[in-house]
Amino acid sequence: MYNFDFEKPESVADAIAALQGEEAQALGGGQTLIPTLKQRLASPSTLVSLKGIAEMQGVCMGDDGSVCIGGATNHATVAAEAGAYPALADTAAHIGDPAVRNRGTIGGSLANNDPSACYPAAALGSGATIVTNARQIAADDYFQGMFTTALDEGEIITEVRFPVPEKANYQKFVQPASRFALVGVYVAKYADGVRVAITGASNDGVFRWAEAEAALSANFSASALDGLSLSGDDMISDLHGTGEYRAHLCAVMTKRAVAAA
Amino acid sequence: MSVAKPLPHDAAHLHVTGAARYVDDIPTPAGTLHLAFGMSTAACGTLNNMDLDAVRAAPGVVAVLTAPDLPFDNDVSPSAHDEPLLATDAVHYVGQPVFLVIAETHLQARFAARLGKIDITETKPVFTIEDALAANARFEDGPRIYAQGDAASALDAAENTLSGSLDIGGQEHFYLEGQAALVQPGENGDMHVISSTQHPTEIQHKVAEAIGQPMHAVRVETRRMGGGFGGKESQGNALAVACAVAVRLTGQPCKMRYDRDDDMIITGKRHDFRIDYDIGFDEEGHITALDVRQYTRCGWALDLSLPVADRAMLHADNGYWLPNIRIESHRLRTNTQSATAFRGFGGPQGMLGMERIVDHVAAELGLDPLVVRQRNFYASSGQEIQTTPYGQPVEDFILDDLVAQLAKTSDYDARRAAVAEWNAANPVLKKGIALTPVKFGISFTLTHLNQAGALVHVYSDGSIHLNHGGTEMGQGLFQKIAQVAASRFGVALDAIKITATDTAKVPNTSATAASSGSDLNGMAVKAACDTLRDRMAEHLAQLHQCHPDAVVFAEGRVQAGEADYSFAEVAAMAHQARISLSATGFYKTPDIQWDRIKGHGRPFFYFAYGAAVTEVVVDTLTGENRILRADVLHDAGASLNPALDIGQVEGGYVQGAGWLTTEELVWDDAGRLRTHAPSTYKIPACGDRPDIFNVSLWDGENRADTIYKSKAVGEPPLMLGISALLALSDAVSACGPNYPDLHAPATAESVLASVHKAQDA
Amino acid sequence: MSKKMHIKLNVNGKDEEFLAEPRELLIYTLRERLNITGPHIGCETSHCGACTVTIDGKSVKSCTMFAAQADGAEITTIEGIGNPDDLHPLQTAFKEHHGLQCGYCTPGMITRATKLLEENPTPTEEEIRFGMAGNICRCTGYQNIIKSIQAAAAEMNAAKEAAE
Repeated sequence: MYNFDFEKPESVADAIAALQGEEAQALGGGQTLIPTLKQRLASPSTLVSLKGIAEMQGVCMGDDGSVCIGGATNHATVAAEAGAYPALADTAAHIGDPAVRNRGTIGGSLANNDPSACYPAAALGSGATIVTNARQIAADDYFQGMFTTALDEGEIITEVRFPVPEKANYQKFVQPASRFALVGVYVAKYADGVRVAITGASNDGVFRWAEAEAALSANFSASALDGLSLSGDDMISDLHGTGEYRAHLCAVMTKRAVAAA
Repeated sequence: MSVAKPLPHDAAHLHVTGAARYVDDIPTPAGTLHLAFGMSTAACGTLNNMDLDAVRAAPGVVAVLTAPDLPFDNDVSPSAHDEPLLATDAVHYVGQPVFLVIAETHLQARFAARLGKIDITETKPVFTIEDALAANARFEDGPRIYAQGDAASALDAAENTLSGSLDIGGQEHFYLEGQAALVQPGENGDMHVISSTQHPTEIQHKVAEAIGQPMHAVRVETRRMGGGFGGKESQGNALAVACAVAVRLTGQPCKMRYDRDDDMIITGKRHDFRIDYDIGFDEEGHITALDVRQYTRCGWALDLSLPVADRAMLHADNGYWLPNIRIESHRLRTNTQSATAFRGFGGPQGMLGMERIVDHVAAELGLDPLVVRQRNFYASSGQEIQTTPYGQPVEDFILDDLVAQLAKTSDYDARRAAVAEWNAANPVLKKGIALTPVKFGISFTLTHLNQAGALVHVYSDGSIHLNHGGTEMGQGLFQKIAQVAASRFGVALDAIKITATDTAKVPNTSATAASSGSDLNGMAVKAACDTLRDRMAEHLAQLHQCHPDAVVFAEGRVQAGEADYSFAEVAAMAHQARISLSATGFYKTPDIQWDRIKGHGRPFFYFAYGAAVTEVVVDTLTGENRILRADVLHDAGASLNPALDIGQVEGGYVQGAGWLTTEELVWDDAGRLRTHAPSTYKIPACGDRPDIFNVSLWDGENRADTIYKSKAVGEPPLMLGISALLALSDAVSACGPNYPDLHAPATAESVLASVHKAQDA
Repeated sequence: MSKKMHIKLNVNGKDEEFLAEPRELLIYTLRERLNITGPHIGCETSHCGACTVTIDGKSVKSCTMFAAQADGAEITTIEGIGNPDDLHPLQTAFKEHHGLQCGYCTPGMITRATKLLEENPTPTEEEIRFGMAGNICRCTGYQNIIKSIQAAAAEMNAAKEAAE
């Protein structure tokens, strides 16, 4: 691992200031970034830990009824405290393993946008709002392909706001070794329609399955999905599964999520 | 008597407090240097030039060595002298060590090792079985062939014939403790090696060669390993030799441990196999003819591949009488890690081939596979003795009784009916059940390895210190041996201390392998203990005018005639009487002889048996599956320690099931291992064990004269996991008319493909 | 060039202060700087759990955390859970119920289990499986590990009841 300086600011303002330095990088729980640094796939000059920022911690209810989660909140806390949005809490409760959930943060996961991570599916599937130090970004605008997001350099996720749906469910087909999603499908039914977001599958990262959303908005039942399928051509094909298999799983897991919602 | 008690592991109190030391936990002397290998990035080619300037200039680097810098032998092979520590003029797989970095810290050594620029002219590699057959890339001149009867004629004459093929994947050991060695310089060029190895004598031998010294200059110690499973039989040689060479160069202590990625990329794994078969059988499922071809990828160097492939052939029959069988074995040379020993040592692959064959026959005839198994079993003891394909009479066969008992206790018939009922009612989730037996031959097939030594001291206070040639890797060998010693002297277990396995205490040892640890070392220790006991008894007999045989050692007391002493008093008296209280013990397995070229003889002292019933459920939409229940009945003879033996059985089953279900090794087109971390290679976790897991030991003693009539238990239970694969196959069979043709490992995606195969019209 | 950091930890009840590079991983701090070798290095990628320790009351894989991130924290390793003369009920249970073979995973396994039983003093078998998901054992097949945790839970609950 290359060496770096380490900062632990106590406010968002201080964090932003620290991130102005050349090749400074924000550090959440480090569950993804530390392995990346070990492999020397990144060489920041400064790591700015966001864990000490009290205003970025915790789960609360917004005035509009949405569940608001501080960007530095770990998965275990979301699992325990986001009971107002059970599907979200359940998603958090199944990320990684207990020790990983004690360290990994929602902001870290969304900023990294790993194509197999769970939170991107939850955020996109819920039409969440990603709140940064500078602005609010709709989930539909935020995810821009694997490991790519709308975040600017030095911009950090301070909060994520999840509108609470009538029904929702996340079904993860785990890649058994890593516990990341080989395919994960997040289905959420809102008054104005159904959202279906899929992680793990596409070469373009997390995406919405428009056809399924239309079918489910008309009739929220697993049978409404009969006959719908995705092509394996644009899917990730790797040692854990072929694109064709992933495409197949997308359809199966979407049905499961609807049935379980 | 201590023997047969279910006592905890001898170091359990140290393990639960974090006080048990592994190589990497031992405090190192000041000035200890750390080592890392630079590795080949090409699978096959000529090594032209290495630019190592950046490596030498990296922080903390003390020296960088390449092959020409090695002072004496450049070899770490356990067999054929074909495995250079550092590549010379050619490279043979991605990950092959080509240079050695010596640095002040572990992290500095690793950092520097990545800075080397290695110029290789790549040549066409051999990766697959097909590649190797086409290039005739193999070890030995041609295939080995063992036969009994006349398979070709019997196939011609058979009522029914059937052919098939089975791919069997390899397996990463994933011992939790990676390979490690620490070498300290002594005076006059001597070396003290502490190694995480199953084979201290081999380490001693290779280190001595590498530093140009006789073996007496090298002392190797192994207190414990954090798991071995065969992966530390030969794979630790490179680290110990590298350290010794570096010690010789620098005069400072040197330590090396592989990081997990390096460990997985550099070291050998279980051999993968393809097994092709032609079967002849009658309407009742009796197998009248069998022709089996075993193809295995041995990797780039010989290592232990010949005995591994031999053992696969020796288990091609499993528990079945095959009057007409021909087994052909191809040991192929490929540009991959040199495949090595792994629990079962080829036996599991050969046995799985046969179980698949029986399963295929049953499917073809529409019979319960268990019925076909029972119809083909060897005759049980007491009936006319039948011989294995390699000419060994099967005199101790108990599988008929053992399987019948397991079928009863596991409620096999009722559950098979319930599975059928479930499958008729459930279109998506299909269940499957399979009962598979294990018959595993016990002894090293290289006959001279079946020997062991021990050294036992009784101190004048009655405490007893002993050493033996076996190594402790978690299997509980030290505790079993201590139980034997305590029983021989009639003392409590806390009177016995066993210290690290040490080549200076017991020389010329065999690897702790082939499940032989307690059989061989237990007998050697018994011999040493009995020598000392006899000396003490002789002395007391003279003193008290009785026969030495009438002196009784029990419960910490010694009775001679009317006299009654504590063991400690007797030890002190013997010392006063100038009687030697130190003795060696030696054992060699009787009654074995074997010609591996002819494939004929009696390679095994006896067989260990077992059987498992596994029930699984498969989601036929995704291929997801899980083990619902496993019932095991395993034969450990008269167990030396039932708790430790049951632990071996449970762990073996789960490791075997992991091998055949989730543990998939994947190499890319360039020969790079893609599954080199636990994030990509899936070994069973807590949630993967069977929902219900009933394990019992067979109540019966070994017919052979082993230590307290016990049986070896290290490897055989791994093969109980075969029932998991065949239960999956059974579940998939419920999806359609075709034989599922399920290969191993049965990952979810391959199970789904198999579902489609079964369904296809 | 990077700045070394002044780091304070409380490890097993003892205050420790030292200067370290920010990139120093906590597992190296424990093992090499403080000679606390119970937590083991198994995979260094946060998957095997051999390095599990407790930080401010939470289970953490110490291979995937910088010492700098732990500055000011209270850390408990297996050495702080009990000692051979005064074993924690989980340590006794792992010993008596054969919840170990090679023992390499044991320190991390028991350290994790102490938190599991704090979070849930009466776990079902399913909850134990889920709660221990991040700790790999290659030897035992887990059967005796689960038994050990169940036995310890029963023991601890009985002791608690007796005290009340």
